[in-house]
Amino acid sequence: MALALWGVVLLQSSLSGRLDLLLRGMFHPLVALSGVLLLLLAALQLPRGGWRLRERLPWPWLLSSGMALAVLLLPPNPSFSQLAANRPAQLEVEPALDFLLPPAQRSLTDWVRLLRSQPDPELYAGDPVRISGFVLTEPGQPPQLARLLVRCCLADATPVGLPVQWPAGFRPRADQWLALQGRMGVERLAGGQTRSVVIAERLQPIPRPQRPLEP
Amino acid sequence: MERLATAWAIFQGLLLEALPFLLIGVLIAGLARWLAPDGAWLRNLPDHPLLGPLSGAALGFALPACECGNVPVARRLLAGGAPLGTALGFLFAAPVLNPIVLASTWAAFPNQPWLLAARPLGALVLSLALSRLLSLIPESELLTVPLLEERRLVQPLSQVGLLERRSGLVGLPAAAAVANPAGAPSTARPTLATVLEHGSREFLDLAALLVLGCVIAALVQTLLPRQWLLAVGSAPTLSVLSLMLLAVVVSVCSSVDAFLALGFAAQITPGALLAFLVLGPVVDLKLLGLLGVVLQPRAIALTAGAACVMVLLLGQWLNLVLL
Repeated sequence: MALALWGVVLLQSSLSGRLDLLLRGMFHPLVALSGVLLLLLAALQLPRGGWRLRERLPWPWLLSSGMALAVLLLPPNPSFSQLAANRPAQLEVEPALDFLLPPAQRSLTDWVRLLRSQPDPELYAGDPVRISGFVLTEPGQPPQLARLLVRCCLADATPVGLPVQWPAGFRPRADQWLALQGRMGVERLAGGQTRSVVIAERLQPIPRPQRPLEP
Repeated sequence: MERLATAWAIFQGLLLEALPFLLIGVLIAGLARWLAPDGAWLRNLPDHPLLGPLSGAALGFALPACECGNVPVARRLLAGGAPLGTALGFLFAAPVLNPIVLASTWAAFPNQPWLLAARPLGALVLSLALSRLLSLIPESELLTVPLLEERRLVQPLSQVGLLERRSGLVGLPAAAAVANPAGAPSTARPTLATVLEHGSREFLDLAALLVLGCVIAALVQTLLPRQWLLAVGSAPTLSVLSLMLLAVVVSVCSSVDAFLALGFAAQITPGALLAFLVLGPVVDLKLLGLLGVVLQPRAIALTAGAACVMVLLLGQWLNLVLL
């Protein structure tokens, strides 16, 4: 029954942790609840008897059920740098940060937010950094370590990245997930400006985390 | 290959996000059908050219749903015999004029109070103009055939000729009569099972169209770089046009699109921002599929075209005032 199939799709998506990859956390219970509701609806109609079996199913239902099956069987596997490439790397104006974690506990996103609200690189020079993210390569720019921020679902993901001074001889591969240990440094750009840069000391490839998206 | 995988993931994200809202809309529509079965109050809604759409827009506050959820509710209204203007006003204005959407807009732009007034006002003006425009077309060329048949069952005979009614006494059994084997609509409250069955059909019909819309939106979004759209963000006219295009392509629900707009609000003109927030809930790729259960293709094309022109003018005017 098509209804039950959609219910299974929603429920399975939320149980298998796939939603962590697709939607922002606050919507997960909604999806699970809808899955339960759909299954319930299907179950309520089951005893009254297969009205759908006797008549021919309309083809849009068949087509969309096929899609539902495909969603069930083919897990999503997006390329994060592909996603990032289609997005403007803009972060909204953040309200003033009301508390600060110690440097070694800040996540990549925390660092980016901090650097945007207080961009003076000298403030952070020498601070220890322990972050993880994926390698984001943009044409014409050195590879950065980045994360995706999501407000609603994958369709509105925006990348945030930190410039990294990679160790000599290390060639970062796009989409590779890395755990990075190092410290903050100051980089002089052409024109006398300075910016913060992460000086990587230890890099370790890691699998894509359970919850790769950040709110 | 990578692109396809990414598009597939975006498709799943959009679909899984929208399905719960669709379900909410169908449930509200079913509830309305169960609580007010004969729909007499629907036919008593004002049919005045201005008051009709206004009251339809006001219904948005009573039945909060974003645009995927409100298409089934609007269809229910039309099938129940509500005046055309009212139902269309609801269809176009309710995705913005409801507490959830206003709250999310406010949450996203607490420091831009003008937007909180301009968004609902713009949506209201747009819905008034669109429903006025569409009511110039005869109903038989505006609404889809199954909906028209369902609607005629509940209209008084003085408005519809016996032959036009097609189902019941004369002519073929209509789709509605098949769904409701008793034939003519009973004024008694329909059984819970009937409501459930009808709701399930509606959900499956709409889900099929939603799938189609999400496929298109995901493909276009992956293949068309967003930077192209945003590179033109600071030119007054171009920015309005590009944000309109973005609104149509991205197709996120009106309850969350304010957060999406937040992401690039700093680089674009205020008129473009308003255009994005007003046009998205009325016309987008995902919605074009959903609207197919209510309006005929030509009417959809007219709606989309007229909405685009009006939103463009609105955005231009705002830029003129604010810049």
